[in-house]
Amino acid sequence: MNLWQLALTFFLIANPIGNVPVMIALVKDFSFHDQRRILFREAIFSFLIAVVFLFIGTPFLEALHIENYSLRICGGTILFLISLTMIFPPTESSTGSQMTKEPFIVPIATPIITGGGLLSTIMVYAKQEQNNLKLLAACTLAWIAVTIVMVSSAYLQKILGKRGLIAMEQLMGMMLALLSMEIFVKGATEFMHVLQNIGAR
Amino acid sequence: MTLFSLTLVLFLIMDPMGKLKSFLSLIQGYTPARKRKIVLRELGFALIAMLFFNFVGDYLLTLLDIDDPAVYLASGVILFLIAIQILFPKPENGEAKKKNSEPYLVPIAIPMMAGPALLATIMLYAITTSHVLMVSSIFIAWIIVGIIFLLSDKIFNLIGTSGLLACEKLMGMVLVLMAIQRMLQGVLLFYTNASA
Repeated sequence: MNLWQLALTFFLIANPIGNVPVMIALVKDFSFHDQRRILFREAIFSFLIAVVFLFIGTPFLEALHIENYSLRICGGTILFLISLTMIFPPTESSTGSQMTKEPFIVPIATPIITGGGLLSTIMVYAKQEQNNLKLLAACTLAWIAVTIVMVSSAYLQKILGKRGLIAMEQLMGMMLALLSMEIFVKGATEFMHVLQNIGAR
Repeated sequence: MTLFSLTLVLFLIMDPMGKLKSFLSLIQGYTPARKRKIVLRELGFALIAMLFFNFVGDYLLTLLDIDDPAVYLASGVILFLIAIQILFPKPENGEAKKKNSEPYLVPIAIPMMAGPALLATIMLYAITTSHVLMVSSIFIAWIIVGIIFLLSDKIFNLIGTSGLLACEKLMGMVLVLMAIQRMLQGVLLFYTNASA
């Protein structure tokens, strides 16, 4: 695979465009300026996590005996929990001061952008290609695009408006619940194959 | 379980990065020498508690005759819930109340360093691993946590609040991964036992 193909693959698996509505719903309570700052920071963090996994992902997971299906199931579970809080927002206590916490690394940087699927893809290519610099360049290229998409997604709020965003949050929660279950089911399928192999023996 | 993964689990559950801030607020106002003395004493208490539960856990679970799959599933679920708490912390209602007296055993040694979650996990891990491995990983994790607590103000000045938060989140993610792996291992064991 050449550099551009790799970069395109990473970009597609990171799927920033598909995740724009979810990310916007997660940061909707912040000012426009803060949103751009948060999204930019999360993009950088997701890049760092991906690069770290590119170099030491395989030995790290092997040392901990973590299989690929666990990676998927883990991402699916966490995203599902987040989708639940989006669909059923925690009841606000009567105190007026609404203390909203910035999303920090979890959930936007990982597992939404750099999820289990992307991490296992990166590790697979790291084994195949033997040329880490090429992969690093591909990652960088992909993430330049990812960052542009993420930062510019803050402008979507201007179009949708506050009400539109609030309405969208629950809808996006439903979407995220479906997506997370999809990831979970993929992981569970892999796990089932392992179980069947044991049973066949 | 290898020494590395066991040590990492214990270290992650102790979550020194997440507790650094409330720890600093508890020991502020003492002279540096006094602080060091408090930290060392509390670390000692924590180590005693951990070793105690290590041996008690092994004995107790052997007595109760609990099978491996159950132990794996239970500890996986507990680990998962701990990790979720680290990842999505509940909004704290007020910092830990500062008492006039010097902290002694409570709240620094227990529950900050060796909390109920850690002790329960140690008990559950103790039965599935050998004593040597368990005790040595407890020691290593304890030493690392001890160094972090001893250098707490320097670390805090170095990486700041957001750095701490970043460390905590990443550690939480790793802990979730390990928890799920352990649960699935329990399912695997159960399946192998059941189909054999």
